[in-house]
Amino acid sequence: MEVSRLPISASQRGKLISAGYTSLSSLSSVSPSDLARDLKISEREAVEILKVASKGNRVGGSDGSQSIINGAQNAWDMLHEEEMLTRITTSCADLDNILGGGINCKEVTEIGGVPGIGKTQLGIQLAVNVQIPVEFGGLGGKAIYIDTEGSFMVERALQIAEACIEDMMEYTGFLKNDLQRNLQACQVKMQPKDILENILYFRVCSYTEQIALINYLDKFISEHKDVKIVVVDSITFHFRQDFDDLALRTRVLSGIALKLMNLAKKFSLAVVLLNQVTTKYTEGSYQLSLALGDSWSHSCTNRLILYWNGNERYAYIDKSPSLRSASAPYSVTSRGIRNSTSNCKRIKMM
Amino acid sequence: MKPQNLLHRPFTAQKCTIGCPVLDRCLGGGIPCNSITELVAESGLGKTQFCLQLSLSAQLPTSYGGLSASSIYLHTEFPFPIRRLHQLSAAFRSSKSSILANNDHDPCDYIYVQSVQSVDHLLDIMPNIESFIRNSKSRLPIRLIVIDSIAALFRSDFENTPADLKKRSSLFFKISGKLKAMAVGFGLAIVVTNQVVDLVGPNEGINGLRVGNLGCLYSSGRRVCPALGLAWANCVNSRLFLSRNEDFGGEEMVNGSGEDFVSRRTRRWLHVVFAPHLPDLSCEFEIQRDGVFGVGR
Repeated sequence: MEVSRLPISASQRGKLISAGYTSLSSLSSVSPSDLARDLKISEREAVEILKVASKGNRVGGSDGSQSIINGAQNAWDMLHEEEMLTRITTSCADLDNILGGGINCKEVTEIGGVPGIGKTQLGIQLAVNVQIPVEFGGLGGKAIYIDTEGSFMVERALQIAEACIEDMMEYTGFLKNDLQRNLQACQVKMQPKDILENILYFRVCSYTEQIALINYLDKFISEHKDVKIVVVDSITFHFRQDFDDLALRTRVLSGIALKLMNLAKKFSLAVVLLNQVTTKYTEGSYQLSLALGDSWSHSCTNRLILYWNGNERYAYIDKSPSLRSASAPYSVTSRGIRNSTSNCKRIKMM
Repeated sequence: MKPQNLLHRPFTAQKCTIGCPVLDRCLGGGIPCNSITELVAESGLGKTQFCLQLSLSAQLPTSYGGLSASSIYLHTEFPFPIRRLHQLSAAFRSSKSSILANNDHDPCDYIYVQSVQSVDHLLDIMPNIESFIRNSKSRLPIRLIVIDSIAALFRSDFENTPADLKKRSSLFFKISGKLKAMAVGFGLAIVVTNQVVDLVGPNEGINGLRVGNLGCLYSSGRRVCPALGLAWANCVNSRLFLSRNEDFGGEEMVNGSGEDFVSRRTRRWLHVVFAPHLPDLSCEFEIQRDGVFGVGR
């Protein structure tokens, strides 16, 4: 995050990030009065921040890399930016490992798998985890959850949220005392119901609604800058009926993908699309593959496939520009997505 | 478009009791509203029993776990088990007489039965059902739709050719989409039943067709899987599986009578194959004269 490099006070930095100003470019076009209002600080302070930010901008570009076209970046800057990218943890260490730390912001990640493998569970987990405060290594953002299938259950989200807060409590136990006081203060603030309140839930009942909602997201997110993840559960459902014209379906879907990609870049948020699987007939045998066809598979930056291996759930990175293909086990517990416990018996909840 | 605030929804989704506390506990309160629950089993295991009992217990007041609602029962297998319904209804009436609002409450008055002959017929009557629910003047509004069984509609009309299969799965999503839209619009609980087919070949690995958290589904010693394939599995929110196995010479039976007596006892189980709100678990149940009951531990 570029903002974190600015020589300003920590509280100002925190306010900037929580208001959604994470990059220097986002600060370059904002007026001091707008910034003052968004951050709830005095205008003088806002002017000060902007001054520092514009200086930071110049310093960044001073080593002979003046961008020729506005918005163009050189690879060095991009590498730096990528290192600064924040990731949303999946709460499963093995899964985070193969993902390089979690689900990337600014990218579109597609997650597919058979019914019952845990797609929705992972979606809910991410919508909860994005809210882990910055002090705990999270993003402290909000989540948009677009439910097309009706599988989102509030009681389940509440369970996962409670477990997430418990885990944060445990985490403070390992820390030094001076930090602890600071953390405990913000922990008291965090309640399961706050987590639920920060999941902005849309239930979508047809593909027209889905298209309309995705078009509307741009406006919605610019009003809610602290949204850091958009989960669509699932992108597929409404597009598997009533579409005789497959060329039209492909066009509509790539339009959606493009918009989501732009959202991810513009607001530096993570987009997670859940997809179903279907069988595909190739070379005389049926194989499982993600739904919506080959042209759709180009639409996402990353693709994660969930599958069964024996009695364990596994995730496999099928496509990613930066990660090597690898697989890792995970399990779905009453507390959410966790590391697989293959050595000890899974406890049945009864 | 505005997002829903999750705090304004009840923390646990409204559920419709099955009519047995043991089974309810197992399912976290019963069949959830606003979603589709599928009941899979081979024939004679009690799918219809579950559905009949559910449409009766939906009439209970919400404080007793019901929905205080009437139900629509779409049956595709003939004949409709009207005698069994009367039997269950009489038992329901006598056991719940103190709970039901008035004494001349005949549970059968609040179950609307409709037969469905084909997929097209189902799609045709869907708008009628919707307007019927909307305009229902009955004391108890409709909150439950049962389709018993969805598989019977699809298993005869379609050839095993790619074109037909594609058409079939497109219809799955169409029906499921309409049902879900109704479920959200009116807060309905929707239950569909499905049959099983025998499973041949392996179902493991990244290309394995394994749906849900049970490695294999066994019923009556056979390895089975739900009918209608993967496409339909994507259309339901929760899937419950009923199975049975036969015990020979159970301990309780031996001390009952003489030694030559070979006792045979059928044990029935309810498994959660997948559900967004439930862990994988199983519960034993029995079918009695008065209905379906879970076996407490």
